[in-house]
Amino acid sequence: MPELPELNPVIHGKLRLALLSLLAGVEEAEFTWLRAKTGSTDGNLGAQLMKLEESGYVAVEKKFVQRKPQTIYRMTEAGREALQEYVQALRQLLGAAI
Amino acid sequence: MNANAEEMDLRERLDLMQKMINEGRRKQESWGWTFVLWGIAYYIAFFWAWLGSFPIAWPITMGAGGVLTFIGFSRRQYRVPETTIGRAIASIWIATGSSMFILFDAMGFGLHLAEPRAFFAAASAMIGLANAACSLTLKWKAEFLCAIVWWAAAVIACFTSLVTTVVAFLVAIFLCQIVFGAYMMVLESRQRRQVASHA
Repeated sequence: MPELPELNPVIHGKLRLALLSLLAGVEEAEFTWLRAKTGSTDGNLGAQLMKLEESGYVAVEKKFVQRKPQTIYRMTEAGREALQEYVQALRQLLGAAI
Repeated sequence: MNANAEEMDLRERLDLMQKMINEGRRKQESWGWTFVLWGIAYYIAFFWAWLGSFPIAWPITMGAGGVLTFIGFSRRQYRVPETTIGRAIASIWIATGSSMFILFDAMGFGLHLAEPRAFFAAASAMIGLANAACSLTLKWKAEFLCAIVWWAAAVIACFTSLVTTVVAFLVAIFLCQIVFGAYMMVLESRQRRQVASHA
């Protein structure tokens, strides 16, 4: 029997998975846009984004636009690879479950 | 967690990913209101010109449409993130809108529209071109149907009377701007509800 793959625990969290999936479809996104799309609170969203940043899956850039602070997130190459591996593992697990 | 619940949980995650990726990619649907706005603007310009103010009706209405579009975008609650496809779609419409604005102003003031059917043929063909380019970029068949309707209006303008040309133009505006724009708005609100219930 083939060994079943393990799911990456950093990506498996629902909000982190939603964030990486959102970032996979765009070049970069503002904190406020991610908050609007996920319906998450500032605190929870910030904590999950920090975990993704610590894992090297997202890169953050802080800047001022018209004197207003903006926090921009973009997915890194490592994040893209990790998400692809996660999807493959998920499909394998689902294939095994059927 | 038993095997069934675990499988449901995994499927839910796959579903969530798909919805979020689509949400990031959603772009043209969020422009549905601009299609409706410009459809109404064309009707206003057309009937204003018909009432006898042709030289000013189109430039003023199109200028007002541009200002309203700009206000509409700046009033959005959050900045829409940039995607390559989104930028391509925006480029197509900005380039088409600018070309139409310049050409039709020049035609109106310079040529005094010696042949009005040429105006309708050029306008229909250019809007058809923008719709076709967007539909091919997005692989969206519904929008390609709009392109076909606009191209048909352009051909009709070249081979029929002015009255028939005008009717074809008005029908194309109604179908491809107002009805299609409303359809995009419905799609967008449906997608928003789905994402909100999932996140």
